[in-house]
Amino acid sequence: MTYTVFKSVQVCNPVTNFNEISDVIIHNDKIISISKKFNKKAIKGDNKVIFYDCNGLIMAPGIVDMRVNLGKTENLELTQEIAIKNGITSMVILPNQTPKLNNPSIIDHIQRQSENSMLTKVRVYGAATKDDQGLEISELGLMSEMGAVGFTNGNKSIKNSLVMRRLMSYASMIDRPIIQHAEDDDLSGLTQASTTSIKGEMNEGEISTRLGLIGIPSCAEVIMIERDIRLAELTGAHYHIAHVSTRDGVDVIRKAKKKGLNITCDTAPPYFSLNETSLLTYDTSYKLSPPLRTDEDRLAIIEGIQDGTIDAIASDHRARSKDTKIQPFSAASIGAAGIETLFFLTLELVHKKIINLSQAISMITINPTKILKIKEPALLENETATFIIFDKNYKHQINKNELKTSPTPFNGRQVKGKILSTFINGNPSYVNPILKEKIIK
Amino acid sequence: MVNVLKNKSKNSPSPVKLSSPHLLAIEGMQKSEIEELLDRADYFANLDKHSNTKILSGYVILNVFFENSTRTRVSFELAARRLGAEVINISLINSSIKKGESLLDTASTLNAMRPDLLIVRHPHSGAPLLFADYLNCSIINAGDGRHEHPTQALLDALTIRRRVGFLEGLKISICGDIANSRVARSNIHLLTTMGAEVRCVAPPTLMPSSLENLGVKCFYKMKEGIKDADVVMLLRLQNERMSGTENPSEREYFKFFGLDENKLSFANSNAVIMHPGPMNRGVEIASVLADDTNRSLIKTQVEMGVAVRMSIIEALNHTKYKFLKK
Repeated sequence: MTYTVFKSVQVCNPVTNFNEISDVIIHNDKIISISKKFNKKAIKGDNKVIFYDCNGLIMAPGIVDMRVNLGKTENLELTQEIAIKNGITSMVILPNQTPKLNNPSIIDHIQRQSENSMLTKVRVYGAATKDDQGLEISELGLMSEMGAVGFTNGNKSIKNSLVMRRLMSYASMIDRPIIQHAEDDDLSGLTQASTTSIKGEMNEGEISTRLGLIGIPSCAEVIMIERDIRLAELTGAHYHIAHVSTRDGVDVIRKAKKKGLNITCDTAPPYFSLNETSLLTYDTSYKLSPPLRTDEDRLAIIEGIQDGTIDAIASDHRARSKDTKIQPFSAASIGAAGIETLFFLTLELVHKKIINLSQAISMITINPTKILKIKEPALLENETATFIIFDKNYKHQINKNELKTSPTPFNGRQVKGKILSTFINGNPSYVNPILKEKIIK
Repeated sequence: MVNVLKNKSKNSPSPVKLSSPHLLAIEGMQKSEIEELLDRADYFANLDKHSNTKILSGYVILNVFFENSTRTRVSFELAARRLGAEVINISLINSSIKKGESLLDTASTLNAMRPDLLIVRHPHSGAPLLFADYLNCSIINAGDGRHEHPTQALLDALTIRRRVGFLEGLKISICGDIANSRVARSNIHLLTTMGAEVRCVAPPTLMPSSLENLGVKCFYKMKEGIKDADVVMLLRLQNERMSGTENPSEREYFKFFGLDENKLSFANSNAVIMHPGPMNRGVEIASVLADDTNRSLIKTQVEMGVAVRMSIIEALNHTKYKFLKK
């Protein structure tokens, strides 16, 4: 059997705070050695050895993307293939797709269907309520036994306070988080669905006034978070807020965490990289939910990332067909692709000296696993060889025509960082030609 | 019939060239461009309606309306015909949209007919911008959602200018459903660009967020908002764009925001009244004021619409050629 040796790679393991240049040897599906000096003894017999010269490259645990929306148009396997090329070794999909993930058998089915030792592992959130009305709780226990890692209504908020209370109580019994898309949808005009002309379309403020689009006030987010925090306090549940986008949201979460409540949250790259001024040309690739906010909000998200109020960064991937986006803004679909840009936009926080490399890696690897209480291979000797290798400083420009998923709100952005390889269970699931050239012959 | 356009006198301004091949919004337009368009429109307005202004023969205009309209559509049609252009009216209210055709498919179908100019009205803000991106002809925004209605603002400006003589320094109060009004937005941009003092008066539920940042003063009381105003511009309550939470009732609205003699007495004694129409008598304005020919310019507004649209269609014809020749 083959041995693979990664010479002089900077091993970044945020769990053990290990961050040193090492030689890493893998054999079969295991990491057998991580050492400063090449551990010759680890290689037994006359087996073939592949050496990669990884000078200047970084090895880190595989990315865990805790929020991927497949919708109905996307093919699960295709998404896995794209994810693997972008360093994502594990992803969690939202239940509001077609068919809806609201019962144990469909959850089992999705996991079996996606099982492939070469591809990104797929986990699922179960639908918190049985149907869109959001009035009856789903079979949380049975779905949890089948592997559902948490419960949410995806891109719709769990609106009814009694239902939320019961969900939290019940979920705490089975030790699973309730994940909320925090938005008071009455306030954002989304419940007035009978006519599109009064639905919230973007952040409320000067820009929405100039563009003549319906505003969603930023308090629509914090109102829901505040209510839910009260209920989390009442029930003792683990409450997780997805894609936090406002200053007030971050402030309230910070206070609740200080109080010692079991509350976690994530955000997504658009909310720390962009603001509402991007919408000035009615470009529908910026039509997101929650909407892009003011720059003040964006800076508050960055503060939240810096001080640890925000635990994780997820792609919030919601790919949309071009047809649904080449529309007047009001008629266009909501959401943008994210799995192909998650890595280097997170790394941008490191290049801008907002957080250090280890913190950035944590936010897309170990922190999501802690929140969801799932086990992923650690970057340690005798652990399964699932990891990524990347060049932190590789400069490139995001080009929407080169991406496999659309749309992107980051077209034309200059970024640094490139995934050069993704190993899953010892398999080189993705090896970029740049790394192939680094094989020592 | 005399072909007056060929006999240019010193007082007849020449056709305008714009910096864009489209008229999508007032926001971003230069003061000088607006002035030139108004000068040219003023000239058209002074012409005898039987004068030969047919300078655009062979020019094909599609009047594409995705939303109901009578006055704007007819006004554009008349302007086009007076310039000698071919104009075809296409009403797409619910038709292609209901059949499932995307706006872009509709646009490319229309584009294949090779028009020179497309006049678009659409219920969604920004839709004309999408047409401008994907079609290769000039586009005039004839009203898009709550965004802009640039020709209305130009005709309002012409109406005021012809009555008062100038725009700079005038106190102009725009009153009513500002939140849902594209007319208000275009007027705010135009009048502030021209140096007028613009005030907006509306109940807070119909006042859009951060409106002050557009360079206007906001008032929630009519008497304060129209105090010493030279022009009182009223807007229609757009009930079709409301959810029932903006305004308690028409009679309450009239009581607080409808223009009547008493409220008007706070304005400048020469103040004129305007309304883009269609107006709801007894809701936005007392009937007696609407019909007061000394103070109400509502009918002049309609009349000026044709002149202004002639000036714009002509300008886009010139501008387009300038662009293509590049």
